[in-house]
Amino acid sequence: MLRIKNLHAYYGRIKALDNVSLHVRPGEIVSLIGANGAGKTTVLNTISGLIRFSQGEIRFEDSKINGLRPEKIVAAGISQVPEGRQIFAPLTVRENLELGAYLRFKKKENEGITSDLDRVFQLFPRLKERSGQIAGTLSGGEQQMLAIGRALMAKPKLLLLDEPSMGLAPLIVKDIMNTVSELRKGGMTILMVEQNARASLTISDRGYVLETGRVVLQGPSDELMDDSDVKRAYLGKDYKTFWEGRERA
Amino acid sequence: MTFWDGENERIKREDLEQVQLERLQSTLNRAYKNVPFYRKEFDAIGIDPGALSSVQDITKFPFTTREDLGDNYPYGLFAVPLRDIVRISSSTGTTLKPVVVGYTMRGLKVREAITSRFLAAGGVLDTDVVQICLNPGLSNWGRALKEGAEHIGASVMPMSHMGTTKQLLTMQDYKTSVLLTTPSYAMHMVEVMKSINMDAGTLSLKAIIVMGEALSQEMRERLESALKIDVRAAYGPSDVMGPGIAFECAEKNGLHISEDHFLLEIIASDSDAPCAPGETGEVVLTMLTAKAFPLIRFRTGDLAFKIAGSCPCGRTLERMSGITGHTGEVLTIRGVKVHPAQIDRIIKGAIKGFSSRFLIHLYKESHLDMTEIWLEMNDALFSDEMKVLDATLKYLREQILEILGLHVTIRLVEAETIGEYEKPSGGVIDER
Repeated sequence: MLRIKNLHAYYGRIKALDNVSLHVRPGEIVSLIGANGAGKTTVLNTISGLIRFSQGEIRFEDSKINGLRPEKIVAAGISQVPEGRQIFAPLTVRENLELGAYLRFKKKENEGITSDLDRVFQLFPRLKERSGQIAGTLSGGEQQMLAIGRALMAKPKLLLLDEPSMGLAPLIVKDIMNTVSELRKGGMTILMVEQNARASLTISDRGYVLETGRVVLQGPSDELMDDSDVKRAYLGKDYKTFWEGRERA
Repeated sequence: MTFWDGENERIKREDLEQVQLERLQSTLNRAYKNVPFYRKEFDAIGIDPGALSSVQDITKFPFTTREDLGDNYPYGLFAVPLRDIVRISSSTGTTLKPVVVGYTMRGLKVREAITSRFLAAGGVLDTDVVQICLNPGLSNWGRALKEGAEHIGASVMPMSHMGTTKQLLTMQDYKTSVLLTTPSYAMHMVEVMKSINMDAGTLSLKAIIVMGEALSQEMRERLESALKIDVRAAYGPSDVMGPGIAFECAEKNGLHISEDHFLLEIIASDSDAPCAPGETGEVVLTMLTAKAFPLIRFRTGDLAFKIAGSCPCGRTLERMSGITGHTGEVLTIRGVKVHPAQIDRIIKGAIKGFSSRFLIHLYKESHLDMTEIWLEMNDALFSDEMKVLDATLKYLREQILEILGLHVTIRLVEAETIGEYEKPSGGVIDER
C-alpha cells in the first residue's frame, strides 16, 4: 500500500533522514520505533507532505505522492494524527470531528460524513457523550481519541499515528492501543511512530528501528520484541564493550 | 507440504525487491556502525551505506574474502556484543585460523526457518524419518539440518560417527525416508549396499537431498535408478553459512535462491563484472538477515550461473545452477573447503626442519574423495630408524585430521616423481 525508497531529508544542514526505505501492506500495523531525534516523526511528516525531502520516492497505492501538497495527500487517503494531538481546544468535540472532514464538505459528501460521525461515536462512545463539550477540557486520553477520530473523519485508507501514547498513563495507553487494534480489525492500515516500543510492538505486525536517521533493524514485531538491541534501547541499557556481560577467566 | 513459507517463496518480484532493499540498507547500516573492519573498508573507497539506493548498487561496495575472515579472527567481524551471541560455530576454514561464525537467538531461528524451507521444498514432511550423514568437517551443517528438519516435525537422526555399514543398517531398520548427505557419500553408500548384498527394496527411502559438492547428471541418474528415489540438490558455502541458501524444488531445473535472506551475485572471475544469466562466474553472497555476523559481498570461490525465466513450481525466487567448479586454490574435499597452504603449514609444524617439497593428490575411491600427501624423500626426513620415521608420519596424519578434519594417507616419493608434475611445492594433482 505504501512503499518508500531511499528517503533523504534535512532540517537546515542537519541530515534528519538518511536513505530510509520502508513499506506498509494493506491491513498491517507497522511500528516505527527509536530514540528521541532518530527521525521517526520526520518520516511521517514527509509522507503527509508537511515537510519536503531532498531525495527519494514515496508511492501510495502505486502512485507517486512525493511533492504533493498535504491536502492532496489527505485526499489520496492518508491522514496523520499529529504528535501532542493538536486538537482545536476552543471548539467542541463535534466541531473538531467535523473539521476532520473539511475536504469532504467541500466535495459535498454530507451524507457520508454524518454516517462516519456515527462510526467515530461508536468507536469512541466517550466522545459521543461529550460531543458538545469544549475539546480543551477533555482529559489527555480523550483528546487522543478525539485526534484519532478527527483523522478518521477524512476517511483515510492509511492512518499515520505520531506518538499516540505520549504523556498518557499506562492504563490509558492500553486503551489507545486497543483502539488502534480495533481500527485495524475494521480494515484500517496503520503506520505508527512510538517511543513506547513495547506498547507499539505488542499490537503491530512489523517494525522498523530508526537510529540517527537510518534504519538499523526491521522485522516482525515479535522478533523485535525479543531483540537484545531493542530491549537495550527500551531499557536504556547498553554494553560499552564487546566483552561486557561475558566473564573472562 | 511443498511450500513451507509459501507467502515469501511466491512473493511478487516488486515486493521482494523492496524487502531486499530495506534489509540490505539496514544490514549495511549495522555493519558500518558496529564492525570496524567494514567501516574501514567502506571509508577506504569513500562509500557510505547511504549511497545504496537499489539492490544493484551493492556492486559499489567492497568484497569480503576468506583472508578477511582469517585477518579478523576470532571476533572481528561480529556486529553485536558477545553477550548477545548464543551460538559460536567454528569450522577449519581455509586460512591458518579457524572460521568463527556467531548467531544470536533470533539468528538461529532465522537459520532454522531457512533450513526448513529448503528441506520442505526437497520433500521433507512431518511424517518423515530423516537421517543425516555428513563428515565431521560439515558438522555446522549437520546442526542446521537437524534443527530445520526437527522444526518441520520430522524424526531426525543427527550426524553420528558410525561407519557406512552401520549407517545403512540404521537406514533399513529405522525406516529412514529422507537422507541428507553429500553426493559422493550417497554414491559410496550404493557401492557398500552392493558389497553387503543389501537390496534397495528393503529400504523405506524416498529422497536424498545432497549438498556440499557438485551433483552431476550421471550421479543423479545412478542414485535415482539404483535406489528408486528422488535426488534434490542444495547449495551453501560450508564454512560460513548454512546448507540451504539455494535448493531444488520438485521441478529439478535449478536451485531456488532464498533471496529474501541472501543477495546472490555471479561475477566474472577476471573482471568482477556481473554475469548475465547462463554465464558462469564466482558466487558472491551478501547476508540480508544476519544480525551477529553480517557478511557483505562474500567471495565464496564457488562457480555457478544464474538461470533466467520462471519456474513452474510457482516460486518466484530466482534460480542458479549447481556448483560447476571453484576459483583459485581453495579445494573442496568431501564438501569441506581446504587451502593447500593449510596443509603446508601443518607439515612444517609437524616435521622439524622440513625443507623438501610435497604435492596433494586427490582421487576417488568408491566415489569418495581421497587425499594423499606426496612427500619428497630427503635427508631431513630419512632417518636410519624406521620407527622414528613412522612416528613422524603418524603424527603428521593425526595433525591433519585434528586441524582439518581430513583423513589422509602419506606417500614418500622420489624427487623425480615430484619433478615430473612440474608443480610448485603444495601443488594439487586432482584426479577426481
